[in-house]
Amino acid sequence: MKTKHLLLVLITFLLVMPLGAQTADQILDKVDQLTSAPKDAKQTIRMVLTDRNGREQVRNAIIWQKGKDKRLIKFTSPASYKGISFLSLPNDVMYVYMPAYGKERRIASSVRNQKFAGTDLTYEDLQAKSYKDKYNARLLKKDANQFVLELTSKERSQYSKVILTVNKNYLPVKAEFFNRGNQKVKELTFNFVKSGNYWYAKVITAKDLKTKHSTRMEVISTQFDTGLSDNIFSIRFMKQ
Amino acid sequence: MKRLAILLIMILTLTSIYGQDSARLAINGQLLTDERLLLKNDNPWAWNENRLDLKINQALPGDAKFYSQVWIRNIGLPQIGQMSDLYNKGIIDPINLEIRQAYVQVDNFVLNNLDLTIGRQIISWGTADKINPTDNLNPLDLEDVLDFGRRRGADALRLDYYLSNDWYIEAVAEPFYRPANLPIGMYADLLDPQQFIKLPEGLTMASFSQTLVMPGNTLSSQFVGGLKVKGFVAGFDFSLSYVYGRDYLPLFDTLEMQVLDAQGNVAVDANFYYPRHHILGADFAGNILGIGVWGEAAAFLPKDDIVMTTVLHTVDMTQFPPQPVTITQDSVLQQKGKPYVKYVLGADYTFPAGVYANFQFVHGFLHERFAGALNDYYLLRVEKSFFYDKLKIAPISGAFVVSDYKDLKNNYTLLYMPQIIYKPNQNTEITLSLGLFEGQGNDMFAALKDLDLLSFSIKYDF
Repeated sequence: MKTKHLLLVLITFLLVMPLGAQTADQILDKVDQLTSAPKDAKQTIRMVLTDRNGREQVRNAIIWQKGKDKRLIKFTSPASYKGISFLSLPNDVMYVYMPAYGKERRIASSVRNQKFAGTDLTYEDLQAKSYKDKYNARLLKKDANQFVLELTSKERSQYSKVILTVNKNYLPVKAEFFNRGNQKVKELTFNFVKSGNYWYAKVITAKDLKTKHSTRMEVISTQFDTGLSDNIFSIRFMKQ
Repeated sequence: MKRLAILLIMILTLTSIYGQDSARLAINGQLLTDERLLLKNDNPWAWNENRLDLKINQALPGDAKFYSQVWIRNIGLPQIGQMSDLYNKGIIDPINLEIRQAYVQVDNFVLNNLDLTIGRQIISWGTADKINPTDNLNPLDLEDVLDFGRRRGADALRLDYYLSNDWYIEAVAEPFYRPANLPIGMYADLLDPQQFIKLPEGLTMASFSQTLVMPGNTLSSQFVGGLKVKGFVAGFDFSLSYVYGRDYLPLFDTLEMQVLDAQGNVAVDANFYYPRHHILGADFAGNILGIGVWGEAAAFLPKDDIVMTTVLHTVDMTQFPPQPVTITQDSVLQQKGKPYVKYVLGADYTFPAGVYANFQFVHGFLHERFAGALNDYYLLRVEKSFFYDKLKIAPISGAFVVSDYKDLKNNYTLLYMPQIIYKPNQNTEITLSLGLFEGQGNDMFAALKDLDLLSFSIKYDF
């Protein structure tokens, strides 16, 4: 009898443990499937940067995205930022282009923790990479309305972990970033809306918890599946 | 003023031609005020520049665009010396107009992924920071020697063929050669050729005249061209390049000295020219262990022997009657086909606290030539940004120059140029910087030692 009980406990443990791990991966898979569903997207965004005293700066940019791993961000205003571009390509290749210098610069891993053009997002945050490719996931909490996942980076990162809250529709609601000292340093909140067949983050707000500075990115217009050429995701286009 | 009027007509014409497509016309620019005063000698103003940098970008039908960059400037302090000058606005308020760039770019020209750019343009080659030995297609703009690496536009035809995102080939042809422009204002003496003339012992220069021989007015004499292949291999960007060019700075061809009297006074007459050379270049950029690294080298191979001929006309007083004597000496500065190499190695790193450090080692500065005359430069900048780039402080910024390691105390220059940059709003940048110089020897920057300065500039982008 005792042996039977032990066997039952062991079988249950063996079944439950991989299921738990699989569930976190499955959730992350579903998040990726929803957030990267369009073949490509072109979005016009408005960024509002707010400092701790409530002073605001407004910037406008265009984001082109193709698949899960190609992204180009180009500022269109104000004048001092116009033309500044960030390009993220497969295999962790990232470039930044500053029109004043006329040359592109590959982003070294030491500077991936730097904030891009005064926003609250670092080059690492802006990298085009699916959650699944970027993180290992562990399910921390699950209830009727949401899942809470602990994500740890598969590669060298400025963050020790990210706590990702996902709603029952498998859309991210909130991401909390912890530094190497395990202090919560940044929080991203997402507001997803549906357009046609696709969900997209209409508003993303990034808040630096130390400086109380925030960046609110709102999508002004969006186009999906227009057949964006690979040429857009090139140094050539970035410099134009 | 006439040129300014022509420019305005051009802009208006362009705007009206494409008026129906005005959404594709973008006019941007920058207003700059740059003021410097010396810290010694009762603080005279040493530099006054007010610049309107106007950029026009017009998308044209098809995959084409027109781009121009024009500087309209008031530079220097008015040189008013006579009452009659007061009748001339050009003297009281001198305006200088410079078309830095004006070109048409056609993408996918004839072939897919082939871009044609034709007109005045600045072609930036090299991976190093500002000091690029492989960048030899645009004349040096040495007007402000503290603005390292500034170049003027060249009238060129450029083809860029993109084999992939990582590989491209660039070919450049320039039918007209243009020389470098030399430093002005308080920096005007830095490259004055007279200081490089070494007279035989006992002789004193009483007068100096010079002749500058420009390349002949033919395509073969004027032509400058280059070819570059750029790629990405094993995590590193790299390029290989070749330029058939000319030195942008003049070089002594002959130096003729005529002894005038028994006291040893001589009249010196110098001839200058711009030697031809082949330039082989290579550069790379990437990162190792999280540190950004780059390197760049250029081998300059003179097309002909570079020889300076010194001729001394004197009188042999030991003869009676005294006999005129001519002594001729040829000094080979660089042999044909034997290269001298300039190179740069650099690294940058951002420390966890957000402190950014950038270091470069430069062997051979932009104006230096020939194997024995290349100095070493150790450049370092450390900066930190605060309040989301609103404030940037660079407490360490400058260079240490060594022109002779064996006699360092007499052959060095230290340039210390700390900076504070403040952005009160997104489009405005205010910079306050110091320039403290100390040096000994013949290095160009050593001559700055009496020109310590405080600099203040405001930029406004629109």
